Amino acid sequence: MEGIVRFVENSGFANLTPGHLLMILVGLLFIFFAIRYEYKPLLLVPIGFGILIGNIPFVEHAGLHLGIYEEGSVMNYLYMGVLKGIFPPLIFLGIGAMTDFSPLISNPKLMLLGAAAQLGIFLTYIGAISLGFTNPEAASIGIIGGADGPTAIFLSSKLAPHLIGPIAIAAYSYMALLPLIQTPIMRLLTTKKERRIKMKPPRSVSKLEKILFPVVALLLTGFIAPGSLPLLGMLFLGNLLKESMVTQRLADTAKNTMIDIVTIILGLTIGASTQATTFLTQQSLHIFVLGATAFMFSTAGGVLFAKIMNLFLSTENRINPLIGAAGVSAVPDSALVVQMEGLKADPDNHLIMHAMAPNVAGVIGSAVAAGIMMSFLL
Amino acid sequence: MTTIVHLLPIDLSAIGHEHLTLALIGYSIVFISLFLLFLVFSMLPKFLTRNLRRKFQKEGGEEKAALAGTMVQGEVSAAIATAISLYLEELHDEETAILTIKKVGKSYSPWNSKIYNVINFNRFQR
Repeated sequence: MEGIVRFVENSGFANLTPGHLLMILVGLLFIFFAIRYEYKPLLLVPIGFGILIGNIPFVEHAGLHLGIYEEGSVMNYLYMGVLKGIFPPLIFLGIGAMTDFSPLISNPKLMLLGAAAQLGIFLTYIGAISLGFTNPEAASIGIIGGADGPTAIFLSSKLAPHLIGPIAIAAYSYMALLPLIQTPIMRLLTTKKERRIKMKPPRSVSKLEKILFPVVALLLTGFIAPGSLPLLGMLFLGNLLKESMVTQRLADTAKNTMIDIVTIILGLTIGASTQATTFLTQQSLHIFVLGATAFMFSTAGGVLFAKIMNLFLSTENRINPLIGAAGVSAVPDSALVVQMEGLKADPDNHLIMHAMAPNVAGVIGSAVAAGIMMSFLL
Repeated sequence: MTTIVHLLPIDLSAIGHEHLTLALIGYSIVFISLFLLFLVFSMLPKFLTRNLRRKFQKEGGEEKAALAGTMVQGEVSAAIATAISLYLEELHDEETAILTIKKVGKSYSPWNSKIYNVINFNRFQR
């Protein structure tokens, strides 16, 4: 009889709280949006399922070793990859092997848009300070504005490990909602005439330039912000594996098998880390508000800087300011948003190739920003 | 608006000089990093075509040397690549056409068999 009582006490039903139910609903919502509307399904399905796993209630610290925060549990071991900052660099290796930097090399001035669109990171950092967050916490929240999940996870794992869950969930949720966040800001800050600007087609890029890019970019950014080395080192290594054409097998593994495995584990553990008991706090709510603000400021920063650049450029070299919005590093989602918005203004104006330049520059920019924050605050 | 202010206890006095300095310096360093990259990759094509320019200069003077710095647009390259690809594919098609008309002789096939045709099938059943 005692055994049956213990079994009932240990069951999920006995330990269920409204918080758990709410989080289970959030998890189901993630899965629904990923499958029904294909919003970032590769991320939202593992994260959503992770939320379900993390929020099935059980008696914590009863020696069962189940919870992600319980030492010795399987989920805890997997979560180590997040806490120790191992997974984000591995993801960056895969991203590097997938990224084509030629739009950026062919029109290097667009790199500046990738820098301008990091505005949200630093403004949100200030905003988070005003909301009472500590310096390292504020920096980790600000980096959401970089619109780069792995960078956000990496920095928060170093500066504010207790906030990884809400920061990662906010970053990935807003990335899935990018069209809803960016489009109104792009329209608000540009005129129809500006949205119709046709840019010069990019020149072709030689193989030597493509090989030199990851090497030179690593040396430059690495020396300026060594804190960004784990991320940028892996990003540029992945790209060199791809562009050198002699390590095709390694590039294939990095951009397919490896990134898939890491994405599954990362998504699952990030989802599971949102246990209602630790996730549902006022801090998480503040992080969600600040995250949305960060995305908006970053978008605005990119668009406005493109407009400023146009003041100094000749008519034939003018930039369509919409592509500034792609400076947030959500690759390739923000470039796709720009393409769609450009087509709405002029059905013959294809901006995707131009938008990919600030988009990949944004990846570098946000990683540099993370490195700077680490150097200042660690 | 009041609800948002209540939800978010904003305290502007918490923002100190050190926070503003970090934000300003951080943003500037991001800009400097990417500006340096921009400088390097703006000059790189000129550096890479340096030898070609010298060669052209020797052959045909300044006018021809200017050609060395001319960059082919990506879409021109794409058009050339497509033309080459189509040309090569065409060659391949010709080759396969020749192979397919090669006569294949078969001594037996169930389709032309006189023993197992439909009429004979009825006879066997009887």
